[in-house]
Amino acid sequence: MSKIVIPDSVLKVSGLGKIYGPITDGAIERTGSHVGTARDYQTGSIVAAWDVNFEVAAGEALGIVGESGSGKSTVLRCIAGDIDSSAGDVRLATFENGESNLLSLDAATRRKMRIDQVSVVYQDPAEGLALGVTAGGNIADPLTAAGWRNFEGIRARARDLLQRTEVPLDRMDDIVRSFSGGMRQRVQIARALANNPRLVLLDEPTTGLDASVAAGVLDLIRGLLEEFELAAIVVSHDFSVIEMLTERCIVMHHGRVVENALTDQLLEDPHHPYSQKLVSAARA
Amino acid sequence: MGYAAARGGLTAIRNAEDLVRTLRDMDESEQIELDQFIGRLRLLVDRIMGEAGMWEPRLAALAIRQAEGDHIESVHLLRAYKSTLPRIASTEPIHVDDMRLLRRVVPAFREPGGPQILGRSTDYSARMLDPRSGSGATASLEPEVATHVADNSSSVQTNTPRLMNVLRDMDLLTDRRRTDDPEPFDITRTPARPPAPRSARLSSMARAETGALLNQWYRNILGPDGYLHEVTLGEVRHGELPIRIKHPYTNGSVSIGSLRVTEVEAIEDLNGVDEDRDRFDIGYGLCLGHNERKAIAMANLDIACHRDGSKSSLEQSILLTTDGLDSAGFLEHLKLPHYVTFRSMMERKIAVRNARPSVQKGDKA
Amino acid sequence: MTMNAVYNGSNLDSIVGEDPGIPFALLDEESKREIRRALLHAVCVPGYQVPFGSREMPVARGWGSGGLQITLAIVGKTDIVKVIDQGDDEGVNAVNLRRLVVTSTGIEESSEVVESTIIQSRHRIPEDEMINSHTLVLQVPVPEPLRGVERDMRELARMHAEADYSRMWVSLYEDKVRNGVITQTTGYPCLVNGRYVVATTPIPRWDIPRLHDSQFLTLFGAGREKRVYAIPPYTLVEPLTFEDVPFEVEQANGARCRLCSSSESFLVESPGTNGDAGTWTCSDTAWCRARRLK
Repeated sequence: MSKIVIPDSVLKVSGLGKIYGPITDGAIERTGSHVGTARDYQTGSIVAAWDVNFEVAAGEALGIVGESGSGKSTVLRCIAGDIDSSAGDVRLATFENGESNLLSLDAATRRKMRIDQVSVVYQDPAEGLALGVTAGGNIADPLTAAGWRNFEGIRARARDLLQRTEVPLDRMDDIVRSFSGGMRQRVQIARALANNPRLVLLDEPTTGLDASVAAGVLDLIRGLLEEFELAAIVVSHDFSVIEMLTERCIVMHHGRVVENALTDQLLEDPHHPYSQKLVSAARA
Repeated sequence: MGYAAARGGLTAIRNAEDLVRTLRDMDESEQIELDQFIGRLRLLVDRIMGEAGMWEPRLAALAIRQAEGDHIESVHLLRAYKSTLPRIASTEPIHVDDMRLLRRVVPAFREPGGPQILGRSTDYSARMLDPRSGSGATASLEPEVATHVADNSSSVQTNTPRLMNVLRDMDLLTDRRRTDDPEPFDITRTPARPPAPRSARLSSMARAETGALLNQWYRNILGPDGYLHEVTLGEVRHGELPIRIKHPYTNGSVSIGSLRVTEVEAIEDLNGVDEDRDRFDIGYGLCLGHNERKAIAMANLDIACHRDGSKSSLEQSILLTTDGLDSAGFLEHLKLPHYVTFRSMMERKIAVRNARPSVQKGDKA
Repeated sequence: MTMNAVYNGSNLDSIVGEDPGIPFALLDEESKREIRRALLHAVCVPGYQVPFGSREMPVARGWGSGGLQITLAIVGKTDIVKVIDQGDDEGVNAVNLRRLVVTSTGIEESSEVVESTIIQSRHRIPEDEMINSHTLVLQVPVPEPLRGVERDMRELARMHAEADYSRMWVSLYEDKVRNGVITQTTGYPCLVNGRYVVATTPIPRWDIPRLHDSQFLTLFGAGREKRVYAIPPYTLVEPLTFEDVPFEVEQANGARCRLCSSSESFLVESPGTNGDAGTWTCSDTAWCRARRLK
C-alpha cells in the first residue's frame, strides 16, 4: 500500500471500528477481507468495520468505495455520530482545536458539532430533510440552530443556497414532499451547506436517481466542492461517482480497508485483488 | 374584603347542584342502600375501586350513588377524597401465591397443575334478558357449590401451581427476573413519563380506565398503527389476597384485612430476531376487584411494551392516555368559557386575511 | 393535619358525619409540602417544567386542578385570594374554584387586585398593576410549548435539555411564509431567562409583555400533565419572534368597551344579531367596573 502524505489534514481517523454483537477474543482474526466474511462464525457478531485509518485534507474529497455491506457507510455514520462506534479516534481540526475525539462526544455536543462543522447528505433525502416542511424551512432549520434570527436574512440565505443547488426559486415555499427525488437531493445538499460546514459526508448521494438526474447532481456536487473548497468524504459503490468527485480513495472489503490510493492510480493500476475485481467490473 | 357585583355565577352553580341533589334524592323510587351496590352491582363497584386505586367498597358505593352511576365521576370522587388523606403506612409486599382462589382459568393446557375453577362467571351463559334476574326466584345452588361458597376460609387451596413456573421448569420461559429488586414506581407521587420502569407501566394500567385499556389493546390489534401480538392466556385468576402492614410499635406483621384482585399471566411467543426464540415470555396483569377484561388487556400490553423496547409510542400511549380522569376532564374542559382565546383566534384570522395580498406580491415573486 | 379520617372507625363513618374531617386547604400537609418543593425548584430554574405528583382535586383535570393545587399549597391564613376566568371574577369556573379555596381555608376573597395577595387566573393577567406582594397563579391546560412540533416525550425532554428549539423557529418561519403573519394566537411561546421556552397558559398575546421583568411572581400549574413552572420577578421573558417580524398583540381597530369606553384594555367581542355590528367589553370585569366608578 503506497504511503501518501497529507498536508494540513482537516480530519484524522485512526483505528475506527464498529462491531455489532458481542466482542470476543479472536473476532478480528476470524473476520475481514482475507477470511472473506465480516461475520464471526463463533458468535454471529458482525465486524462491520475495523482498523480504519485515513486523513482528509482541507479542500480534499476522499472516496470510500466497496460493495454493499463492505462497511463504508458504517464508517461514515460513525464519524457523523449517527451510530456509536466500538473503537477508534476521530479528530476534526476545526472542532475544539482537534482536541476532542468525535466518537466519544455526548449526544448534545455531537448535535452542536453537526450544526456547523459536519454535514451529512444521505442517500435517502427523507433522512436528511423534514418532508412536510418547505425547502426554505429545511434550510431555516440549521440556520436557526446556529442562531439566525432575522426572517429576511434567513430567506436570503435560503434563496442563495437553493440557487446554487439549482432548485427553482418558485419552489422555495413548497413542501419538500412534493419534490422529485433529484430535487429533494438538491435541497438536502443546500441544507447541508447552510452553515458553511468544515466537512461534508456524502453517503451514496446519487444512488437511486435516474442516470441523467444523477449526472446533474454529481456535477453540482463537484462544482460546490471546488467552489467552497470543502473537505468531503464520498461513500459510493459506484466507481464513476468516486472518479468524478475524488482525488483519493480507500477501498473497503468485509469491513477492512484493503487499499488506499490516488483515485486515478487505483483505476489504472489497482493493487489489491479485490480492488482489481472491483475496477474490472466497473470497467466492463 | 371588597367583592363586587355578583352576576349570578354562584347562584347558578348552587341551583345546578340543588337540581342534581333534589331530583336524584327525591325520586319516587326507594333510596338504594350502599350494601345493595356492593351486593348487587358487584362488578361496577369493583371496576370503580380499581380505577380509583382504592379498596373501600362502601365508599365506592357511596360515590356511585352520589354520581348517579357515572363511573368516571365516581372514580373522581374517590380519588379526590384520597387526596385529603395522609399516607400513614405501606403494606408489606404481597405474594400472589397467597391468593384464595375464587376462579381460575388456564386456556393454555387441558390439564394444568391445580384446578380449573369456572367460579362465578357468565362466560358461557346465553346472553338473554331474564325477567327473573335480581329476584329471589333464580336463586339455587347445588349443595356442593353452596358448601364451597359458605366455606370462605380454605375451600380453595392457595399455592396452586402457576403456569409461569410450569414453563420455567420445562426451560421454555425466557428468564428476565432481576436481582436488584427496586422499589415499585409510585405513580401517585411521581408522574410517569417514558422511558419509565415496568412498575410504572403496570401501576398506570392497573388504575387505567377499563374501556381505555380495552381500546388500547384492540386498536393495537386492528388499528392502522397496530403491532400488538396476541397472547395465549396462561392464568386468569380472581381471588382474595391478605393485606398486612408492619405494626408501627411492635414491628410485627399485622393483618389488616383482605381485598380481591384479578390476576393474569399471558404467554407471548418470542419470534423477533434478537429475541430468545426457543422460549416464551410472560406478560402480567393485576388489578383491584373482579375485572378480567382489564387484567387481560394489561397483561398483553405489558409484554407488548417490553418487547417493543423504545421503538414505538406504545409506552407513551399507555402511560399518558389511559387514565379516565385525565382524558374525561380534559375533554369536558372544552365546555368552559373560551372567549378570550377565541377572540385572539378571530383577530389572527383577520390578520391573515389582511396579510394575504402582500404575500402574493412579495415572497412568491 | 387530621388523622381522624383514618382512625375513627371506617372511612365512611368519618366522612358522613357533621365534620367531614377535611384538612385546611383540602390537601394533606405532606402533599402541600411536596408541591411547594416543586414550586421552589421551578422558581430556581425559571421556565423549566418541574414534574410533580399532581393530586386528584375536587375539580376535574383540565378545569384548573393544577392552579388550584398551587394556590392551596401556598395559601396561608392571612392571604386574600382573587380568582378570575377569562378576566371575569364571576365566570362559573372562577366562582367554583374560589368557593373551594375560601371554604377549605376560611380566608378572605376579593375582586380587587390591590387587596389580593394570590391571584389565580385562567387565560388572563389582570389589567391592574401587580407588584412584588402579588403571586399570580395561572392554570395551564397544556404546559408543553413544543408539542405542536414534536409528540414523543423522550424527544421533547431532550430538546428542552439541550435548548434545541430550532424546530420551533422553523414552525414560526413556515407560519410566516404560509400566512404572511405569525398566526400563533394565545399561549404564545416565550423564551424565559434566555434558556427555556414555555407555553404561556393560553393568555392572549396582549398579556405577554406583562410577564417580562414583572414585579410579581408567576406560577404555572398543569394538574393533568403534572407539571409546574415559574417566572420569578424581574425575569427576562421574550416572545419567540424574528428580529424583523415584530411581536404583535391583539388589535381591535379602535374598538372601545361599551361599558367604560376603554380602548387600552383587552376587549372581547359580543357579536351583533341580524347583521348588526358587534359590541366590545373589557375582559377584565373588575378593572372595567373600577374605571366606571372613577
